[in-house]
Amino acid sequence: MIQLFNVTKAYGKESVALREMSVHIEKGEFTYVTGPSGAGKTTFLSMLYGASRPTRGQILIDGINITRMARRQIPFLRRKIGVVFQDFKLLNSRSVYENVAFALEAQGKKRYEVSKKVYQALKEVGLEHRLQRRPIELSGGEQQRIAIARALVVDPLILLADEPSGNLDLEVTLEIMELFKRANARGTTVLLATHDNSLYQRFPKRVLGLEAGRLVMDHQP
Amino acid sequence: MLEKIRYFIRRALRNMRQWPVLCSAAILTMAVALATMATFFLVVLNIQGLATNWSQEIQVVAYFKTPPPRNQRAKLIQQVEAFVDVNQVVFISPTEALKRFSTRLGDDAGLLEGVSRTLLPASLEIRLKSGSHSREGVERVVAELKKDSRFNDVRFGQEWLERFENFVNLLKFAGLFLGSLFLLAALFIVSNTIKLTLYARRDELEIMALVGATKRFIQIPFLLEGALQGFAGGLLALGFLWLSFKLLLEKGLHSFWLTPVGFDPIFLSTEQQFMLVFSGVLLGLLGSLASLRKFVRL
Repeated sequence: MIQLFNVTKAYGKESVALREMSVHIEKGEFTYVTGPSGAGKTTFLSMLYGASRPTRGQILIDGINITRMARRQIPFLRRKIGVVFQDFKLLNSRSVYENVAFALEAQGKKRYEVSKKVYQALKEVGLEHRLQRRPIELSGGEQQRIAIARALVVDPLILLADEPSGNLDLEVTLEIMELFKRANARGTTVLLATHDNSLYQRFPKRVLGLEAGRLVMDHQP
Repeated sequence: MLEKIRYFIRRALRNMRQWPVLCSAAILTMAVALATMATFFLVVLNIQGLATNWSQEIQVVAYFKTPPPRNQRAKLIQQVEAFVDVNQVVFISPTEALKRFSTRLGDDAGLLEGVSRTLLPASLEIRLKSGSHSREGVERVVAELKKDSRFNDVRFGQEWLERFENFVNLLKFAGLFLGSLFLLAALFIVSNTIKLTLYARRDELEIMALVGATKRFIQIPFLLEGALQGFAGGLLALGFLWLSFKLLLEKGLHSFWLTPVGFDPIFLSTEQQFMLVFSGVLLGLLGSLASLRKFVRL
């Protein structure tokens, strides 16, 4: 599903975020990307959804070389990928429903289809009763669940999560992890970037360890 | 397709409702820019109208060496009226000329007592067609008349005509130059106001790009919003212009004429009013487009 061949990402001559990284992630795999701050986790994920391009090397997603992809094709790549961030990236001026519907509307889905799928996605994360509320009126955990519903509503092939539990307490983190596991069980490939060791000790899966932009560990439980 | 269009309109309207302050700022900026340009245009339009009115007075007078015999006059008038630039020819006999002179002297008309009735020469007063009130038109008529040896002298106020033409040309040039300058300034201001509104909504743009919206999908509602704001700005400018025309300009222009000239100040024609509102739409569209190019980067 995801293949990296000698991928390097440099910002100028001095700053190298990722060095010669090669890795294969199979379809339906659950993988942690770990490492201290500045190890290159976010750079790695951002290249997978086309937010930045590698300086050298190739990236293949679902068999397509995205390093050679034209800019106008990037939106179509993103429709296969759901992304969840630490800071949720929700629109506080819109209702919960509208935030989730945004992802489907952007893909030009019909109105009735949008409402059906949004309701299902919110039910999946247990927030179907908060449809008309605004994200700002909800707790951090609930906001992250909305972000996950938005990422999953499009039935993505890949789910990328960048420190999704960074701002949440343990109880909420466990709820969120349960959602990721359920998505993974349905066949979605999940990549979760975290610096929280307790997460992969509690839910052991494949771990890719990064340090100063180098892949220093690839551990299968 | 229809559903997509409805979706875009719905989103544009919702955006405008959600950001009332930014939306009003954009509309007002465009209204002020358009009203300034339109006021200037209206003033130029009126001065040009007055100038055209004056130019109707331009005529050529051809003086005879000796008055032509009565039976030849009709033929002669016909001949001159056949010139491409000539509209109407009137024969003024020496008696008629003296009568006019005497009227003009008013109380001093007594000075002309005992003067021969044939003192003043007979002449033809030649009025030109509306398209020929230019130096070229006059020169063509004069050249034709000078070929005829029966005429002694041809008068047409050449110096005045040249000055008048230069004035009209200067007015047109100033109108074009200042108009373009205003347009550029308006575009710059509008584009920057819209840039501000987009800056306030950069999160929305970022999230849209993140969930796989194409560039066109992101841009269309914003362009539509710009066009709608431009339309509102155009209408507002038109309303403002009409009010200021009724309350200030009309009186101002009347006192500028100084003397009654039989020319009433004019307002924009229906087509020009339509063009003003359409300019607003165009301004909004271009302003949004210029700013969107900077903000929507996938």
